[in-house]
Order: sequence, then C-alpha cells, then structure tokens
Amino acid sequence: MGWVTPEAPKPEELSACIQCGLCLPVCPTFRLTGDEVASPRGRLTAMSAVADGIAEVDDTFHEIMSFCLQCRACEPACPSLVPFGRAMEGARAEIAAQLPSAKTSLRQSLLGRRGLGSGGAVRGITRLAALGQLAEADRWLPGRLKKPIAGLRRLGLRSTSVIGQTHRPKGTPVATVGLLAGCVMDSWFPEVHKATIATLVAAGYAVSVPESQSCCGALAAHDGAVDEAKALAGTALQAFRDVDLVVSDAAGCGAHLKELGHWASGGRDFSSKVRDVTELVAESISVGRLPRLAERGVSVAIQDPCHLRHAQRIVAEPRDLLRAGGYTVLEIDPNGMCCGAAGLYSVLRPETSSELGDRKAAQVMATGARIVASANPGCEMQLRSSLGSGFRVAHPVELYAEAVGLV
Amino acid sequence: MTLTAELVDLLGTARVLDHPLRRHVYGKDGGVTRGDVELVCLPDTTSEVVEIVRIARRHGLPVIPRGAGTGLAGGAVPLGPAVMIVLTRMDRIEDVDVESKTAWVGPGVINLELSQHTHRHGLHYAPDPSSQSTCTVGGNVATNAGGLHCLAEGTTVAHVLAVEMVTADGEVVTLGGEAPDPIGLDLRAVAVGSEGTLGVVTRVLVRLTENAPASQTLLLAFDDIENAAATVSAIISEGIVPGALEMMDRVTVEAVENYVHAGFPTEAAAVLLAEIVGTSAGVAAEANRVASIARANGAIDVEIASSPAQAALWWKGRKSAFGAVAQAAPDYYLHDTVVPRTKLVEVLRAVYAIGRKYDLLMMNVFHAGDGNLHPLMAYDSAQPGVLDRVHAAAEEIVRASIAAGGALSGEHGIGIEKRDLMGLTFGPVDLDAQARLREAFDPEQVFNPGKVLPEGSRCFDYGRPPVGAEA
Ligand SMILES: Cc1cc2nc3c(=O)[nH]c(=O)nc-3n(C[C@H](O)[C@H](O)[C@H](O)COP(=O)(O)OP(=O)(O)OC[C@H]3O[C@@H](n4cnc5c(N)ncnc54)[C@H](O)[C@@H]3O)c2cc1C
Ligand code: SF4
Ligand code: SF4
Repeated sequence: MGWVTPEAPKPEELSACIQCGLCLPVCPTFRLTGDEVASPRGRLTAMSAVADGIAEVDDTFHEIMSFCLQCRACEPACPSLVPFGRAMEGARAEIAAQLPSAKTSLRQSLLGRRGLGSGGAVRGITRLAALGQLAEADRWLPGRLKKPIAGLRRLGLRSTSVIGQTHRPKGTPVATVGLLAGCVMDSWFPEVHKATIATLVAAGYAVSVPESQSCCGALAAHDGAVDEAKALAGTALQAFRDVDLVVSDAAGCGAHLKELGHWASGGRDFSSKVRDVTELVAESISVGRLPRLAERGVSVAIQDPCHLRHAQRIVAEPRDLLRAGGYTVLEIDPNGMCCGAAGLYSVLRPETSSELGDRKAAQVMATGARIVASANPGCEMQLRSSLGSGFRVAHPVELYAEAVGLV
Repeated sequence: MTLTAELVDLLGTARVLDHPLRRHVYGKDGGVTRGDVELVCLPDTTSEVVEIVRIARRHGLPVIPRGAGTGLAGGAVPLGPAVMIVLTRMDRIEDVDVESKTAWVGPGVINLELSQHTHRHGLHYAPDPSSQSTCTVGGNVATNAGGLHCLAEGTTVAHVLAVEMVTADGEVVTLGGEAPDPIGLDLRAVAVGSEGTLGVVTRVLVRLTENAPASQTLLLAFDDIENAAATVSAIISEGIVPGALEMMDRVTVEAVENYVHAGFPTEAAAVLLAEIVGTSAGVAAEANRVASIARANGAIDVEIASSPAQAALWWKGRKSAFGAVAQAAPDYYLHDTVVPRTKLVEVLRAVYAIGRKYDLLMMNVFHAGDGNLHPLMAYDSAQPGVLDRVHAAAEEIVRASIAAGGALSGEHGIGIEKRDLMGLTFGPVDLDAQARLREAFDPEQVFNPGKVLPEGSRCFDYGRPPVGAEA
C-alpha cells in the first residue's frame, strides 16, 4: 500500500542515505543489540522498502520504528545530512494513519485525547503525584510508573505556575522574550522557570509568559499524531506573535519549536526566533551583561540532552555558563548517548530505557561528582531515578542563578 | 527440525531474524549490490558460531560473515540462499597486554573504540580506515583494510598477530600466534584479506602501536591539482614519511566543508592534508620543511593546525568525504586502485577525462602518499541508463590505472563488485593458485561463495559444486 499521508518520509530524505554506516556507533538501540535493524541505516532501509512497495506498514514495521528513541544522535554523525528525525516523524505519522491498533497509543491513554495540550491534565496529574510522593507511592505503584515518579522533584501541593506573568528589567530591555511554559515544566519544574526568568531579567531582557500558550506539541509529533501537532503549532504561533524571541528551558520543546516549519505555515519565521535559554545566558555572559565567577572547586557532571546536543547542536553553551558560575565541569560521555528518557519512551519501553539510564548513571558516578546538570526535564527525571539518592540533578541555568545569587 | 527452529533453539528468537523486512535490511553493505538474505544470526560466542556453521551445512546452506556492513565491494552480500552470521555482538576487548603491546579482541570490536580503549596505556591500533568509527576489526581483517596512517604503518596485515577462525568443518583454529614471525607457513597472512571466504573470524590478536609523542597537521591548498600531486612526490622523495598524506579535490572539499564547517578553502582546486608525527622538536622542523616544499611547488595557502581540535576537525572532514559527496547526488560508485606515485598526475588526468566522456560527476579523494586512488562517481540511479555508464566508466578507470603500472587495490576488498575485474590484474595461473588455496580451507565453498574469485578461476574445475548451488 505504500505511504498514505503527506507527512510520509519523502523520497529525497530517504535517498540522501548512502548506507555508509557512519551513524551506527552513535545509535543507542544499535549499541544495545548489535542489530542492523535497530540502527538508523536499518530504519531508513525499512522506510525505503515501504516507499518502494517491498514492505507494508504493518506490526513489524511499527515495532522497528517504535524501538527508535528519536534521540537523533544519528543526525550529526551523518555526512550526507539525512534529516532522520523528520523522516522518523513521517514514519510515525504513517503508522498512526495505517494501523488502527497503534492509534490508541499509551500517550493518549495516559494523557487523554488532547495529549498534554491542556495544562489542566498535567495539573491534575501533578496533584496526584504530589499526593503520591507524600504517600511514598513509589513503593506500591506498578513498575512502569514507579521510575517516573521516583524521578520527580519534590512537588508542592499549591500551584506554582508562572503562566501569565511579566517581568521587566531595570532600564530599557535588550529585547522582549516569551517564555514557553511547557506542560510538565510549569507544574513539575517551577524552580527552573524561576531561575530562567531571574537570569534573563538580570541580563536585561523583558520576559513574559503568554497566557494563551499550550503544550508545544513535540510529544504529539514524535508519536505521529499529526492533527494534534498541527493544532498545537498554530496555538504557539499565535501566543508568541508579539515577542522578539521565544525561549525554552526544556531542550525537547526548544528543538521542536525550532522546527515548527514542518507543522505550520509561518512556522519557519517563528523558528528563527526560538532560543534555548542556555544560548541567551551564555551570550549575555560573553558580552558582559551577566557576571562571571572564578572557579571555586565545586564539580558538576554535564549531561547533554539529545534534543539539545543532537537536534539543536548546542554543546558549548551549557558548559560555558556553568564555568561562568564558577563550577568545574566534568564530562561524562564523549558521544552524548541517550539516557533513555526520550519523552514517553521510558514509560513505553521501560526495559530499554532502564538499560540506557543505568549506563548513564554509571558514567556520572565514575566522575565522582554529586551534582549533575541537565537541560531537559525528561533527562533530569531519568537521571534522578537511575542515580538514586545522594545526587542532585538540576538545570544548568538554575545552578548558574544560584551561584551568582539571582535566586 | 527446520533450519529456523534449530537456530532459534540455539540462539533464541531475538537473535535469529527471519521476518522478510528484517532480512531485507541485511541485504546490502556500503556498496551498490543488493542480495536476498535467507536468515540472519547474531551469535555471542565462538561456540555459537561453530554451531551455526554446522547447522547451516546440515541444511545445505552456505554462510556469509558480516561485520558492520561498511564494506564497499558487496563482500557481505549473499549471491544466493545463505545464512548470514553477524559478528557485531562479539565486541569484547579481552586482556590488553601493555608489556607486549598486544590485545585479544572480538571480531565485532569497533576499530576506533579499540584505540580509545587503549589510549590510557599510550597505545592505539594503527590501521585507521576512514570508516574506523563504525567498521569492525573482524571486517578489517577480512578485507585487510588500509587507512590514512597506512602510509607509515602498513595495512591491517602488519598489525594482526593471530586469527581465531571457525572453519568449514566447524573446527576452531588459531592461525599465527604471539610470536611476531611465526614458524612455518604464515597462515595468519592468508586469513587477512580472505574476505570471509575461508572461515568466520571469531577472535583476533592485534598488535598495538605506541602513540606518537607529538603531531602536527598541515593543510596545503593548490589552485591546480597537478601542483598538489607534484608536492606529494617531492615530500616523499625528500625522505619525509608523513604519518598521513591525503588529497581531496575541489568538489570533495566543498561537500566536506558543508558538513564539518572546518574552514576548508572551498575555492582551491585541491587540498592536501599532511600529518607529521614524532618528537615535538622533530615535528616542528619537519612541518616547516613540508610547508616550504609545498610553497616551492605552487601552494596558494599553507596552514598549520592551531590546536589538536582543529586538526581533528580537518581529519574528520577527510574521513567523512565519501558520505559528504552524497550531498551532490544520491548514489556513488567508489574506486580503489593503486598507481605508482610518479604516474599520479597522468592517471588523474585520465580519470577526469573518463568522467567527462561518460557525463558523470567525478570526484577524487585519496591516500596520496601511497598512490591509492579513490575516484568516485556521483550519480542518481533513478536516471535511466546511468548505471551502464557508471560501469563502463569504472572499467575504463581500472584499465587506465593498470596501464600506468598500477593494480586493482585490495583496500576495499574485491567482493562481488570488483570480482570480474580480477582477470585484468591476474593471469590464469595466479587465479588458479588462489582458487586452490581457498579450496584447501573450504573445498565445498561454504563461506561466501562466488566472492573475490571470478567463475572459472580454477583451471581444472573438478571441484564439487558449491554448497547450495543446487537449491
Ligand atoms: C565511508 C567509508 C570509508 C571507508 N574507508 C576505507 C578506508 O579508508 N580503507 C579501507 O580499507 N576501507 C574503507 N572502507 C571500506 C570498509 O569500511 C572496510 O572494508 C572495512 O574493513 C569493512 O569492515 P566491516 O566490519 O564493515 O565489514 P563488512 O562490510 O561487514 O564485511 C566486509 C567483508 O569482510 C567479511 N567479514 C566481516 N567480518 C568477518 C568475520 N568476522 N570473519 C570473516 N569474514 C568477515 C565479509 O564477509 C565481507 O566480505 C570505507 C567504507 C566506508 C563506508
Ligand atoms: S550516516 Fe547518513 S548516509 Fe550514512 S548510513 Fe547513516 S543515515 Fe545513511
Ligand atoms: S534517533 Fe536515536 S535511536 Fe533512533 S535511529 Fe537515530 S540514533 Fe538510533
């Protein structure tokens, strides 16, 4: 039957792969299995087989595609510049369209038809989780949910949302930025938003958190939920139309917003305004709008979220701002392999996710550091639950803001 | 029991792949030929390999060993029904002997990761094909892989002391040993470069090389490819042996720059990368000599890497050249011939002329130091008739190199894709001798049948038909 949706992997995306294999060693699922079918090249070959009418979008195809973490480590490794992440979103869209059984995915059953679109759903879950923490729910919850709960920060029962706030710097603002509140960030990581706002304001930005925004749609897009991803992209475009820059402090959301051109007309212009918070802070430090401290012997291990390092190619900035905060930065993994969080992957495929999480935890432990910096909420939760007690996991901007006394 | 049932009994379902789509994924390596795979096995141990070979034989099927599938000659592509043995999971680096500078490694160990692993001992594994971040030591042994540093260090065969192999009878044999120069016939050297036609390599004893105390990388740009070639000859004839000496032409440099953003001069007709290794004082002096030789031969720009990071980025560019050129067209055909260094310019001219004649985009990127040319034709296989032009041009290029006193190189292997060109280099007596050697190991052609040696290589063909030929 071939492809049936306009989002399907495009011929030029697939033919760009010349099967050199240089993407294999960076792919986590290939490294776990040694199986070509679980490699980027193998997945592209499987997609081409469907495009060429040799194979169908069936359960096997679904299994091959859903094993992929969508970490996109294969993209920077590819000298032929194959847009793997885009092609994979296309394959997922095809699976959603062609396999009725795949339609009611766990994402939808967990989070409802509107996914994370309505902040209400997350707020509801948050209250439950907060209560769960009080009742030490990680002891009695089923395995699948145990880890995510163990990875949460301590939640307050009162809402800490920053949505609707505006903050002005002293003097004329350098620019106005709109902060993407995000779905889980706003409820589960309020300290990160607080640090982001404080640091950006100190750097001279006017910061607003538009009321009309909703979830960025990244999880829907990764899952092949095309209509939902498009609707959410439209909302984002509207919500942020009046700001100079859009800033995200969650790598996964930022990466998606930077590619909104796939999902909405006008998305490309919007994307050119998107920055990860570490980019703005590192730049502000380098031009002297934010202070730089001397090193003071506190070690921080740095974890690169895939959607920061591979999708946005941001590597230097989080390190720069940690160093400016006086920290000693310790590397944990030269290749930046996925920690296994990968959005909802940790819930959908707990075994693979745990295996990767344990590897990452071992790398962190080998550095001797007790603090780990991670610029993405999913990775943070995965690290916290894989590392166990005795470690602090925080966003690099939080650590910087603390060091220079902004929070 | 059926073949699949027996293998599943042995390996479990996850390590035996028989779904058509999964098998299809294994139908190709880095080359251009595709074949049909009957069944794929992913063993973890030598004894599992032994059992797989025995089971396959009982069912009358030949065996195709496969590493990472980066081969460029179709070596790991089956020509008929066969069981594929994939060795990527056997990737253990066993004891590294720092004293004697050796290590036993599994065939699935990734070339570069072996060097990264031994770095803390000040050692590395010297053969470094451009695919080293992916390809396996087993695949390197099978193809006698060369690399950027083989100019000074020699190819894989110079760095392998012993090879453990599963033979057609399902026996485990060790060819060679810890002594650098084994007594009697050196069968280790027979296994190296045998392209999976003699057995399945299951362990390798590699020789490790000390890391150079210092190195410098120079980037030399020329507005004329002939000046670049003349510089190569001049450097070598001055008695300088750079660690690596590599050339890329303009089209290649453009594509590479678009990927690595390393500041390559995209306007130059040719770029030479030279790595000087040695002691820090020696390196500085030699780098200066190379720079002045280049200037004397018309270099328009001479740059010395300002940091190890910059040098690494330049080399990353060189190593990704084959992949990067695919930005120009979706398919490529890569050649692998060796010509005498003195004939470099002449052969290069001929190669570009052949490209024009067949209307194909011709790019050149190669190990300049040892005259190992990799002319590359980029094309779009969707264009009707283009493959015929590619094959005709390919054959002309090989003929031109051989006419200049060169050879069909073994660096990328012969596999299927260069098999029928063997007759251009070897006479019937040579081919017969090679066929007999192969027969001594594998009389029934259990392993990789139909590869390397063209049909009829055996002058007196009284051998049995290959296993599976009747299927
Ligand atoms: C981008 C790129 C650059 C390259 N650059 C170079 C280069 O600079 N120099 C060079 O020499 N080559 C180069 N190659 C070719 C290729 O990488 C080498 O031939 C490499 O040695 C193949 O290793 P592999 O693990 O991928 O083997 P495969 O491709 O899987 O197999 C290659 C051959 O070896 C056999 N084989 C594999 N493993 C075993 C085993 N354990 N036992 C028995 N037989 C086995 C297979 O049957 C096949 O015939 C390049 C390829 C690419 C894609
Ligand atoms: S690195 Fe790029 S071109 Fe090479 S196999 Fe992977 S996806 Fe294909
Ligand atoms: S996105 Fe990640 S898991 Fe998926 S193929 Fe690429 S490297 Fe592998």
